[in-house]
Amino acid sequence: MSTASWARLSTDAFSVAFFAYLFAMLASFYYLAFRRKPVWVAAMVATYAGLAAQLISIVARGMAAGRIPLGNMYEYSVFLSFLVVLAYVVFVEGVARVHTVGGFVLAFAVLTMAVAVLFLYVGPEPLVPALNSYWRQIHVSSMILSSSLLAVGCIITILYLVKERRERRLAETIAPIMGGAVDLENAPPHLGVGADEPAAPAPTLRRGLLPPSATLDRLAYRMIAFGFPIWTFGIITGAIWAESAWSRYWGWDPKETWSFITWVIFAGYLHARATSGWKGRRAAVIALVGFVSLLITYYAVNLWIVGLHSYAGVS
Amino acid sequence: MSSSTPTPTLRRSVALVWRSLRSMRTALILLLLIALAAVAGSLVPQVSVADARIASIFRDHPLRARIYEQLGLFDVFGSWWFTLLYSLLLVSLAACLLPRTRAFIRNLRTKPTPARELDVLRHYAEVEVPSDPEHAILGARRVLRRRLFRVSGPNGAPSLAADKGIGREGGSLLFHWAFFVLLVGIVWGKGTGFSGQAVVVEGQAWTEAHANFDGTLREGSFFGEDHSGVQIRVEDFKATYRMTGQPQDFVTRAELLNADGTPARQVDIRVNHPAEIDGVKFFQFGYGWAPVIRVERDGVPILDGPVVCQQNAPPEGVSPLQLPWNCVVKLPSLDPDIGIRFELWPDSRALYALLETGQAMPMITEFAPVMTYEAYRGDLRSDLVQSTSILDTTAMQRFDRGVVGAGETKDLGDGLTVSFPDLRQYTVLTVSRDRGLWIVFLAAILVLLGLLPALYTSRRKVWVTAEPEGSGSLLKVGGFALQRRSQFEEEFGKVVRELRRASEEKVGT
Repeated sequence: MSTASWARLSTDAFSVAFFAYLFAMLASFYYLAFRRKPVWVAAMVATYAGLAAQLISIVARGMAAGRIPLGNMYEYSVFLSFLVVLAYVVFVEGVARVHTVGGFVLAFAVLTMAVAVLFLYVGPEPLVPALNSYWRQIHVSSMILSSSLLAVGCIITILYLVKERRERRLAETIAPIMGGAVDLENAPPHLGVGADEPAAPAPTLRRGLLPPSATLDRLAYRMIAFGFPIWTFGIITGAIWAESAWSRYWGWDPKETWSFITWVIFAGYLHARATSGWKGRRAAVIALVGFVSLLITYYAVNLWIVGLHSYAGVS
Repeated sequence: MSSSTPTPTLRRSVALVWRSLRSMRTALILLLLIALAAVAGSLVPQVSVADARIASIFRDHPLRARIYEQLGLFDVFGSWWFTLLYSLLLVSLAACLLPRTRAFIRNLRTKPTPARELDVLRHYAEVEVPSDPEHAILGARRVLRRRLFRVSGPNGAPSLAADKGIGREGGSLLFHWAFFVLLVGIVWGKGTGFSGQAVVVEGQAWTEAHANFDGTLREGSFFGEDHSGVQIRVEDFKATYRMTGQPQDFVTRAELLNADGTPARQVDIRVNHPAEIDGVKFFQFGYGWAPVIRVERDGVPILDGPVVCQQNAPPEGVSPLQLPWNCVVKLPSLDPDIGIRFELWPDSRALYALLETGQAMPMITEFAPVMTYEAYRGDLRSDLVQSTSILDTTAMQRFDRGVVGAGETKDLGDGLTVSFPDLRQYTVLTVSRDRGLWIVFLAAILVLLGLLPALYTSRRKVWVTAEPEGSGSLLKVGGFALQRRSQFEEEFGKVVRELRRASEEKVGT
């Protein structure tokens, strides 16, 4: 196959993956709201189809460019969205067996792909000599892998905050008697919502759509605790590459600086988790700050801040 | 803090500072402050990274620029307050870690302590076994040992205590100490090291010594001027471009020589592939053209050798490959002084294209090179203009101009001739030494090695007691996990099953 047809295959497969994820996202939200099992199955089938199409797209891109397709922001974004969906399928659906948060993760993947194709697209081209290094390949792939894990962890953290708030509200509305627990399902009317309030909502809504906050909290922590060492590894390999390419392993280049800031914030999150009184909501807020920092590290530094990493961007 | 405390003495306040430095929160806050400083450093243009943008801030917003300068915001990572934060972090980290390490070592030495009431624990099971309590406990000991638990007991009584997961605290301590060593290694390496640039023309040698660096030499604060004296002899340089004009490869072929002048080895220095000798590293940084220029007066050579040419920054939308190279020859030994300004076109087709179409084509390889020249006579003002690449013509008059091609000689009048016998290239190498490199690298690996057990192992304890029951005994097993409780549930179940099986095997034999 010629370079041009590989490039065509890559963009076509990208479109297929994009719409598959979009469909899967909508189906996941529908499942979240109405709990129809076949809809969940359809969402998963579409997700797998999207993953397969995206894998084809990435491989074809590599064939067209004649190198590993991790050379610019477009390629990073495609790979990132692929790994985000993969991490979700493996860890959230597979290991943790949580089936209701897929829509949010897929929304992130769809958004990443949309930004990639609208603002970051460049054709498949060879790399300049400075980017031509094995260490860089290892650095970039571990950065993207950890970004995907941290991103999934942070999306679940957002859901945790929503759910935790709702659980707290419910606990406030229905005061327990004598310190005992109250069965919300079968609570007598006088213990339910106040008499002057409108009628109690349907039981499904009362329980909420999302999994219990404790489940979300544990899942988010696991994803971040998994992503953090890989982020650390990515910074180290990046430093090794920088040492050979730019003659210093650390130079406070904006991308380096922001990867360090993100590292510090997530390190703070892990410390907070180990400190009593800082678990739960406070730690979750730190994780959110880390997510913002991650997005700045990933996008803003390349697009708006001038530095050595700018050529990794849209040129 | 009670009302009876007298006015705080110096000792008391030192103790207070030390106490606050010892808390993990202080270390975290300091790390966060460093991160905040880094945010500022990434948003405000920094010295030596974005000098042009700093200059433009000074021009457009002089007040803001002065405030920034006073606060050290143009050089965040070199400012006194960044150094202070960094040092405080080091002290605080050490202060945090010392007591923790002591406690950890103490903990390693002490055996797990027995518990009394097992049935109140979160994980509890009872197992009936046929052997007597003493043997049952010994069996339990074997089971737990096989699972890599630290077991203490039985100490007289038929009971034992076991724990596992020392890696969590141990890994955490390793991570933090390694991070400490990493921070120290960075300071030591940068502090005792240097980094600068060498410009070497093909066929020439360069010795690593203070005077030979081009431009500013960045030296660490505790650098003792102990330059190595190693040499590099550049044989040739080659730049390869793709058809699109995108750079493909830059190679400097060179020979490295020891400080005593004995040849060490032959190297190819490429982007991403530096060469090293005696702790000094040579990195490919840039390149340029160096025409060999010979100036003679009445047949006597006054100047003969390669002259390093430089390029102006290209305007927007123009590739540097389309621009000519500029160099200057100064002859203060003549009276009056003579200065010649050259403009080199390594590929003369670019010059002709410029003359015909108004647009130069990119010059990728050498092709019939030509130089245009302008010769001046008068006063070079050498005492005012030190730079070798700037010709100050305020006190000079032009007396000739023309074009000289490779291999040609041109007559400038007054018995002066200029010839262009050869065109060579020069390579720009970053030369640096960082002795802390291996410390930083090793520490980084240890950071990672410590992080894994610190995050993924959990502390858990198991207690077993045995009391006689019928002909055999009853084992009471209790367990407790500080982290990862759901996983411990499984592990505890397995331990209980193995205890049962162990006793059955005993009976079978």
